[in-house]
Amino acid sequence: MKHIAAFVLITALLVFYPVHDAAAGGPVSRFYDYIYNPGDLKPVDSTLKVRVGDKAPDFTLPAISGNDVTLADFRGKANVVLSFIPAAWTPVCSGQWPGYNIVEDRFRQSDAVLLGISVDNIPTLYAWTQQMGELWFDVLSDFWPHGQVAAQYGVLRSDGTSERALFFIDKEGVITAAEVVDINTRPPLEDIFQELGAFDQM
Amino acid sequence: MFQRFSLSVCFTVFAIAILLATAGPAATETLPEISVAVPESTEERAYLGLEKEPGETFSLAEVDADILLIELFSMYCPYCQAEAPLINDFHDLALRQEEHDVDIRLVGLGASNTQFEVDQFRDTYDISFPLFPDKSMALYKKLGGEGTPGFLGVLLKEGHDPEIVLRQSGGFHSPEEFLEKLLESAGYK
Repeated sequence: MKHIAAFVLITALLVFYPVHDAAAGGPVSRFYDYIYNPGDLKPVDSTLKVRVGDKAPDFTLPAISGNDVTLADFRGKANVVLSFIPAAWTPVCSGQWPGYNIVEDRFRQSDAVLLGISVDNIPTLYAWTQQMGELWFDVLSDFWPHGQVAAQYGVLRSDGTSERALFFIDKEGVITAAEVVDINTRPPLEDIFQELGAFDQM
Repeated sequence: MFQRFSLSVCFTVFAIAILLATAGPAATETLPEISVAVPESTEERAYLGLEKEPGETFSLAEVDADILLIELFSMYCPYCQAEAPLINDFHDLALRQEEHDVDIRLVGLGASNTQFEVDQFRDTYDISFPLFPDKSMALYKKLGGEGTPGFLGVLLKEGHDPEIVLRQSGGFHSPEEFLEKLLESAGYK
């Protein structure tokens, strides 16, 4: 008799358990999902060491493309936009790079190369950027010595991550704009287009 | 022995009753008040059936349609980027369909996006329905957004409060299937 009751109960559960909706949603960028949410951070936690008009500190860093990238190699050839982001695996949808992925043409128009950069190591950056889809720009790892390039520019925070910052560097290797934004927000796209426009004036 | 049996039966019936109760139809959900700027574009104003002028605001509930599908998106969201062509297909399908006497309109709300960013998204994907910025994400939060892309299907019936009949997180795999789902949820099937 116990077995009959158990059978009826199990049948009832199977019959009434909500049927999975075949038309239900595909992947979704959840702002605070399985990705670690660090909460609201101190907006800025560093002091810039460079200024507009300075020569941009040179560096050579490993990139997810497998190459080493040297900033000075672009001199005379291309303008450079350095996009520092605090850390990989922070909420993708508040990340910037997928957005920059759809404005490649605007960068090319201004003869500008975009380089993403963070203090994470290569495997971490690789996995994270793969999740975004294929990026048209290379991504550099400022992992070892830890945050050395971020520190040179003055955007290394006290917890070892970097600020959310943009540096615009012309073909002479001179900084034409430096923008450190509140780490919890994103620099508006219009700011980038404005500085790309400034490259065109030179 | 008999007591044990009847106890099991009672428990089973009770369990079934609970399951039936929780499987019942959801309570109706009224669309919160959402106001956005009247579009500059004459075409967009005509699409939405608005008499108001640029410079004013309008409530989404004022859209002249039977069903309004609200898309929550972000220019920065790779899934929204991937989904955009499919949503365009869905839009064409929804506008073209003649099987049901129903007017469907779409709007997009760009969570955390500026006007410039929303325009960029629109231009990149040639989106033919109006998009509005939601820089502070106030609208996203008001609508109970759960990630992007996200959709809310709203039934707009004259004399009734606008009712959210469909919620979806994530894109849909087939425009045809999603249209069916939307029409069904709105009671058109």
